[in-house]
Amino acid sequence: MTTPAAIDDQRVSDPVTGLPAIEIRNLRFRYPGAEAESLRGVDLTIDSGDFVAVVGGNGSGKTTLCKTFNGLIPHFWNGDISGTVRIQGRPTADRTVGEIANQVGYVFQDFGNQLVRPRVRDDVAFAPINFGHPDWAQRADAALASLDIPHLAGHYTWQLSGGQQHLTALAGALALAPTILVVDEPAAEVDPQRATAIYEHLTRLNTELGITVIVIEHHAELVARYARSVVLMADGAVRWHLPVADALSRTEDLEAADIPAPQVVAVTRALVPAVAAGHRPAPLTVAAAAELLGGHRTDRVAPPPIRPARHTRDLVAELDAVTHGYIAVGGGRSTVIDGLSLRLYDGERVALVGTNGAGKSTLLSVLAGLAVPSAGRVVVDGHDTRSMTAAELATSVCYLVQRPEEMFLQDSIRGDVAMFPAGRQLPDTEDIVDQVLARMNLTDLQDRDGRMLSGGQQRRATLAVALAMRPRLLLLDEPTSSLDLRSRDDVIGLLTALSGQIRCTVVATHDMHLVAEWADRVVVLDQGTIIADTDPATLFADPQTLRRARLVPPQVAQLGDALGLSPVPLSVPELVDRLRPTSKDTP
Amino acid sequence: MTAAVADATTERDRKRKGRDRASVEWVKVELMRVAYATRGGFLARRDPRAVLGWYVLLAVGPWLTYSEPTLVILGVVALGSALAARIGPLLLGLFLFGLLGQVAYLGVMVFVFGGNTSAIEGLVEVSLKLAIISLASMAAFVSLDPEKLSDGLAALRAPAVIGFGVSYAYRMIPLLIDELQTIIDGHRLRGAPPAGHGLLGWRTMRRIGAVAVQSFYPLFLNTAKRTRTTVEALETRGFTLTGGANPAGRRLRLAALRFTWADGLLLVATLAVVVVAFWAGAALAPHR
Repeated sequence: MTTPAAIDDQRVSDPVTGLPAIEIRNLRFRYPGAEAESLRGVDLTIDSGDFVAVVGGNGSGKTTLCKTFNGLIPHFWNGDISGTVRIQGRPTADRTVGEIANQVGYVFQDFGNQLVRPRVRDDVAFAPINFGHPDWAQRADAALASLDIPHLAGHYTWQLSGGQQHLTALAGALALAPTILVVDEPAAEVDPQRATAIYEHLTRLNTELGITVIVIEHHAELVARYARSVVLMADGAVRWHLPVADALSRTEDLEAADIPAPQVVAVTRALVPAVAAGHRPAPLTVAAAAELLGGHRTDRVAPPPIRPARHTRDLVAELDAVTHGYIAVGGGRSTVIDGLSLRLYDGERVALVGTNGAGKSTLLSVLAGLAVPSAGRVVVDGHDTRSMTAAELATSVCYLVQRPEEMFLQDSIRGDVAMFPAGRQLPDTEDIVDQVLARMNLTDLQDRDGRMLSGGQQRRATLAVALAMRPRLLLLDEPTSSLDLRSRDDVIGLLTALSGQIRCTVVATHDMHLVAEWADRVVVLDQGTIIADTDPATLFADPQTLRRARLVPPQVAQLGDALGLSPVPLSVPELVDRLRPTSKDTP
Repeated sequence: MTAAVADATTERDRKRKGRDRASVEWVKVELMRVAYATRGGFLARRDPRAVLGWYVLLAVGPWLTYSEPTLVILGVVALGSALAARIGPLLLGLFLFGLLGQVAYLGVMVFVFGGNTSAIEGLVEVSLKLAIISLASMAAFVSLDPEKLSDGLAALRAPAVIGFGVSYAYRMIPLLIDELQTIIDGHRLRGAPPAGHGLLGWRTMRRIGAVAVQSFYPLFLNTAKRTRTTVEALETRGFTLTGGANPAGRRLRLAALRFTWADGLLLVATLAVVVVAFWAGAALAPHR
């Protein structure tokens, strides 16, 4: 079961055609104009009906590989190619992308740009109509029904949330009734609960309709829960293709590809020698890990975190019965935040969590003074936001929007960082900019355009922009969305390091790892009101609030809760430390 | 102490009403209402081909005459149609602003150069023609949502790329507006603060101009980045820029269009109105 040959032996063929879904032999490919080959001798067989996760570090050729499945390579990107790709036995080389699209559905990573029609149903019907399928209407309706989104049919695509857009893109691919579905990073831009929902849909398509599902995925936890086999790409070739349990126990290979093991695997490997040595399979779910670790249960209670009482600290910002909303296209005004009061103090690291549409971004924009609330009062750093323009407020509050591209207003990182101090004609502008660039490790990149950087570098650059503004209150909207895990850890580290210079930071986020590892206060929003204001450990042990706000705690907190630890642990080292059997507790 | 009091009073005097951004928001929402034909109106119910035909009749008519009575009748018809098509306050306001600007401009011309009114007459005539076409365009395009417009163009044998381009442009409008708003907010917050309005607001005007020019670069680079995926997706979804949609697809797409007797009646009635206007023009001004 542990060798690549093992999976080939048990290969399941398509019951009708008797052929594997995808068969690739010695495939090499170089993008037009590129120096090096992106694929270097790929050999891969994917069985019909499998659920495959393709993993690998940045630049390992994952996306390039997947674009050979539907013929975008070599028909759209016609670079140098050799070797064969067969889809259910038929080579892709002599067919068109359109023809293959009826067999292989593809959902892109930036799925929002895949939607080309104004309304959901028109978009889903777009491909069947283009291919001249007379039953396009039934196909579109069936695709919408299979994802439980018929209620969205009449919506405009620009009104949809990220998760809904993803389902629409998926429905658009399903409307061609493909037997193979490729989804590039389904969980990148949505909150954990929505990521789970998308994977549940994919699993149903896989088991009920027999569709072969191939996903590109960074999150080992999702791979563990849903995939049946894992392909590791490294340096443009398939390193191995293994059943999921074997794959996830090869932690060194995964670490090397920037895919940290799921937290339950990390914890059990640290605590159970048999798992670490590979004699027992690592548990893939929280329940399995809790069962395995049941014997380790201790009654040791971690000391409560030492937090200075709030009333002794300085007030940084205050919202008093704030109500705000937007003009609706249909007329009238929506209410996004409703009679909300909140005080933010010096030295706090606040995470703002809640579902999409709970009012997180609106709250940030009201705090930044970009919007003046329709009722109530916002005081930031001693100034009522009604008494100052947003530009004047910018000396004390800085707001980083969700998409970093929108923060890059100049043609170089240096220009963007310098924009605020230069605009305010600060005497030591050059020094400030040099210092900030050095501190954020951007000196080498300072002349590049922000748009051309990787996701992690972009976040670093926007944080540099904020740092040069020297705000007292820093507001960030989803700073870790669509980052791979290493870049995410980078951002969390930077945020921690910044806390010395910025008096109060508020982050609106879906990322519960960020909440666990960084925040010391969590404010939970639901339908424009605050339903909880607490610390992360208390929140993660409160099932009622979690359910209401549709939050999924990190595995380590779930595991700690299942083992009866209170307060729940927030990181792997903390849990390991609290569970590790000690010879004698020292007083 | 006194300084603090003075500070407090100036703060109290300068109340932001929240209108500065609310108005941008309103313009955005109003544009969406216009683009997606959410208000209904008498043309919104018609077949897109009939609407396009109606538009061509009213848009070409004015160029075939110099008769002022004809133009006045056509103008009244166009204004009535625009109101009945519910073009909404934003477009109407912009239109009136343009029209009043013209009138003011003509007034200045008369005042400065005096006497000779024949030149003014010519200018009034051209303005009237442009006004009719503007009103007709607004009435027609406010009544066509993007799907209808692109289907209508396809039905009239326009190249598939044009129909698709129209529909895709409509899809991009809200994204571009949002992105532009964020970029302009970025300039407001991070750029040099305004140093007062200046004489006749020249500083404000210069600032707005500079921000508009500087917003162009990030806006279009960001958009170009987005469309890379779109182009690949179009390929997989059976729409290639060279081939367009295949004929079977075109037939399916247009199968839902119905040209009814009411659509025919609209065209006949419009043609009749235009003919009557020309006839009235000839009758009222026989010397021309």
